[in-house]
Amino acid sequence: MRNKRMFLFEVARGFAAILLALAVAVIFIALCTDDVGGALEQMLLRPLFAKNGTFNANSLWVVLSRMIPTIFTGLAVCVMFSANQFNLAAEGGVMLGGFLATLVGIYVPMAAGLHLVVCLLIGAVAAALTMLLPALLKVKLGASEMVSSLMLNYIIMYVVLHFLNNNFADRSKGSTQTFPFLETAAVPDLVPNTDLTWGFVIALVFVALVAVFLFRTRWGYAIRMIGINQAFSKYSGMKVGSVIVLSQVIGGFLAGLGGGIEVLGRYSTFLWRELPGYGWTGVTIAILAKNNPLMVPFAAFFMAYLERGCELMRTNAGVPAEMLDIIQAVIFLFFAAEQFLARYRQKLVVKGAREEMKQAFDSEAAAKGGNA
Amino acid sequence: MWEQLFEMIFKPDFLFSVIRITSPILFAALAAVVAEKAGVTNIGLEGIMSITALFGTLISYWTQSWAVGVLGALIVGIALALLLGFFALKLKTDIILGGIALNMIGGGGTIFLLYLFTGLRGNTGELTTPEMLIPQVNIPLLKDIPVVGEILSGHSLLTYIAFFMVFLTWLMLYKTSLGLNIRAVGENQNAADSVGVSVIKIKYIALGISGALAGLGGAYMSMYYSRSWNSGMIAGRGFIALAAQAMGQGEPTGSMWSSLLFGLANALKNKMEGMQGMSSYLVASIPYVVTVLGLVIYAVATIRRVRKTRRAQNAMTAPAGEEK
Repeated sequence: MRNKRMFLFEVARGFAAILLALAVAVIFIALCTDDVGGALEQMLLRPLFAKNGTFNANSLWVVLSRMIPTIFTGLAVCVMFSANQFNLAAEGGVMLGGFLATLVGIYVPMAAGLHLVVCLLIGAVAAALTMLLPALLKVKLGASEMVSSLMLNYIIMYVVLHFLNNNFADRSKGSTQTFPFLETAAVPDLVPNTDLTWGFVIALVFVALVAVFLFRTRWGYAIRMIGINQAFSKYSGMKVGSVIVLSQVIGGFLAGLGGGIEVLGRYSTFLWRELPGYGWTGVTIAILAKNNPLMVPFAAFFMAYLERGCELMRTNAGVPAEMLDIIQAVIFLFFAAEQFLARYRQKLVVKGAREEMKQAFDSEAAAKGGNA
Repeated sequence: MWEQLFEMIFKPDFLFSVIRITSPILFAALAAVVAEKAGVTNIGLEGIMSITALFGTLISYWTQSWAVGVLGALIVGIALALLLGFFALKLKTDIILGGIALNMIGGGGTIFLLYLFTGLRGNTGELTTPEMLIPQVNIPLLKDIPVVGEILSGHSLLTYIAFFMVFLTWLMLYKTSLGLNIRAVGENQNAADSVGVSVIKIKYIALGISGALAGLGGAYMSMYYSRSWNSGMIAGRGFIALAAQAMGQGEPTGSMWSSLLFGLANALKNKMEGMQGMSSYLVASIPYVVTVLGLVIYAVATIRRVRKTRRAQNAMTAPAGEEK
């Protein structure tokens, strides 16, 4: 019963953080435009509801399709942060995975069903292997995985752009992009003629897989224990080094897979000219989900909804969509704040403890009374 | 190609550009040094630099005075660092995550803020007037010496301040009671607490200093280096500064040398970008590759040093053990 109360408290606290962020958003919107109500309507309602208040299915497909890459990066960050590894290279992993998956999709023709799987696997494995760099530097040399993974993002970006521009560019197009990949490599649509592909289903499957891995396997247990107390894990005989490497390699795999699915699902060529930003959204999602893979889809939905809302607000109310970054930062800060509303939690804990004592006392008294 | 490259490197203007490029990294590296000495990791440097760069430009535009702009950037830097401190120290947000949030505001948030204040999108190029730029300083006598004068004279005022700050930071850390407290808190905050040092206050002060230094770095970027603010202009310099701090063993002078190394890599990149037969993209990745290499070399050196001292200790204690 106490746990249930704490859970409700956590939910309430999350909503308080979101409300605070929205309050900040309202202030900024008010500074940008006179029609605050109209802008808010665009941001909060329009992603799912049309002007006359009816449900807009097409818009829902847009929001759901946005979740595909961020579910993967959110899961990737969940796994890495669970082991207390602040590896921030999911960003680069997405780009590398997307690029290599596209290349295989263009140049290595294969049978229909097999082709897509091979494309995605190669992208994901390559991203996983690059994560060995920050992971091994951390384990073998004690170098900060955070700094090296941040540098890795830039290196991956420039190397991909180098090959894109000098080796694989389709010169007949005005902008820099690869040739279109083969039909067999495309992720099929889940809802015809929308951006919502089967990638969404794959993403949900991976949510379940990662949850089982983290909560129901030996390795997952080791990852979480090392995140909680590394010294204790070491002295209790866990192979701390291998597990740290494993967590980051899995993170890279998930990020690369997400990148591949996004490019092969949404586009027909590879055309990213810079890091796509999904890695950072993934960090926010992991924070919102409190590193619990099962909560990742909900957090990803929230972020995709907000992103779509901010876009609509830009088009229809003239408020720059970059406001999203500020809202995101505020939510992020309060969500991760352990002491935010801590006084109320304290009260709840005290209240719960008192009730439990009273219950115990009552039942004891009842037992005694029965004996007498 | 290599000949061409060597010809370029051994010219005074190349070394001049190394110093010019090092300055903002040096400010941020010193910011990282001070924060890390107090035991707080400030990964929000990247965001702080981007935001202060924007406010430096805006304030100098409003007042048409570069000096007020630099001061404004400094104050905004302190305010942001204290905000990070409030979340990390008071509300117990993980400081890494707090830093990431600052970086988010530094990324898209600044574009929004710029639009909010001016209606411009993404860069302030059209606002720039000569009054808004930090002046260059020609040092008398020194500027007349051949080669040396060409390299060392004629930099921005903030460049000289940056290198002077290395000395000031060292002085602050090792010759003042504040510095002693900062180091004590970073070494062992329970011990510091037990002798009556206010750990929270010292951490706030260290973060404030680090914000001020990052603010100067930001002002340098927008008010001198690229002569206007544009989104993405910091380009990882805040992160590189963290690496410079780690490589410089957390000391002001060491961090200055590693900052110079990254400045050198960056200057090399700038020179090579214009050359025939070079992929501009691969060249652009040089500073980041050098940073990773620097981290590796530093880590290997540390491990060797630790092993050496351990071996020396073993050699000293071993005979004593035999006697028993």
